[in-house]
Amino acid sequence: MQQDRLSDWLVKHELVHRSLGFDCRGIETLQIKTEDWDSIAVISYVYGYNYLRSQCAYDVAPGGFLASVYHLTRIQYGIDKPEEVCIKVFAPRNNPRIPSVFWIWRSADFQERESYDMLGISYDNHPRLKRILMPESWIGWPLRKDYITPNFYEIQDAH
Amino acid sequence: MATTATFLAPSGFSIQGWSAKRKLGRGRKPWSIKAQQQQQQLEQEAAQSQGSIPQLQQEQEEPLQERAKVQQQPPQPMAKNKNMSREYGGQWLSCCTRHVRIYAAYIDPVTHAFDQTQMDKLTLILDPTNEFAWTPDTCQKVYACFQELVDHYEGAPLSEYTLRLIGSDIEHYIRKLLYDGEIKYNMNSRVLNFSMGKPRVKFNSSQIQNA
Repeated sequence: MQQDRLSDWLVKHELVHRSLGFDCRGIETLQIKTEDWDSIAVISYVYGYNYLRSQCAYDVAPGGFLASVYHLTRIQYGIDKPEEVCIKVFAPRNNPRIPSVFWIWRSADFQERESYDMLGISYDNHPRLKRILMPESWIGWPLRKDYITPNFYEIQDAH
Repeated sequence: MATTATFLAPSGFSIQGWSAKRKLGRGRKPWSIKAQQQQQQLEQEAAQSQGSIPQLQQEQEEPLQERAKVQQQPPQPMAKNKNMSREYGGQWLSCCTRHVRIYAAYIDPVTHAFDQTQMDKLTLILDPTNEFAWTPDTCQKVYACFQELVDHYEGAPLSEYTLRLIGSDIEHYIRKLLYDGEIKYNMNSRVLNFSMGKPRVKFNSSQIQNA
């Protein structure tokens, strides 16, 4: 079976991970710890996943973790259904630091900046981590579940 | 009428807060204006702005984004367009909404010369489009509110975010004055769209929760 291959491979090589099952499209989902993510990212690149399809982040629960999600796939010629995997890295809310995968997959550049801007997850070794959507002097992380929009006149009331 | 008032930001306002995010090497000159001189200038400007209100009204018809040419005018003979270009870092901190424009610069009330080096001053331009009919009393109320807010925000980093918070608070205050009947819409304004609510009968601010 094509699915579960990465999970089996990782187990075979005794790398710590936790399988989160399959999502609705049949893509296997794994959870990796923050301190292992550096090495596992390199390993999955070596294994063949040469394309980071997207990187996103979300807030799991108020007072809980912040999740950073990576969709990896392999770009090849002549393949109808490429292998895909989805990896989630959970970071604690009080100190959300995750190693950056910029140096492995370049497409993470702007996407990690967006996760930083919206949720405050700071990516170590990202060469230019700064706000990308909000103005540079914004205070606060807008997409966190406990964010309160300040009472700006032009947002709420202006005609 | 629309007037300009320049206020001195208290010394607690620092650029240090977010300056770590900006590139180093943008030359930022240390402020060395003496306090006595500042007080004098403030009094002179206040006298000027109150004494030459019709003149200002006329001048403020022109779009304020026009940069004035270099001129020799009291009270700031050396004031001219400074620090507006990219070489100086282009640090153009402002907050603009329809009735309130706050700039972290010194704007000469007569020549409209922007002087960006004096970043310890905040300039408030009140209602340049004349949507409301202002009297000197109501203008002074808004200025007092502005001064109070600036004192309240003392110590916050000098950034657009803080200026926008101040600007929004002033807009809410203007709306409260409108709902209390102290200012009225100017029926001769160029764009009459009642941006703070259509006029209502027997209405005051106690009828809404968060005015």
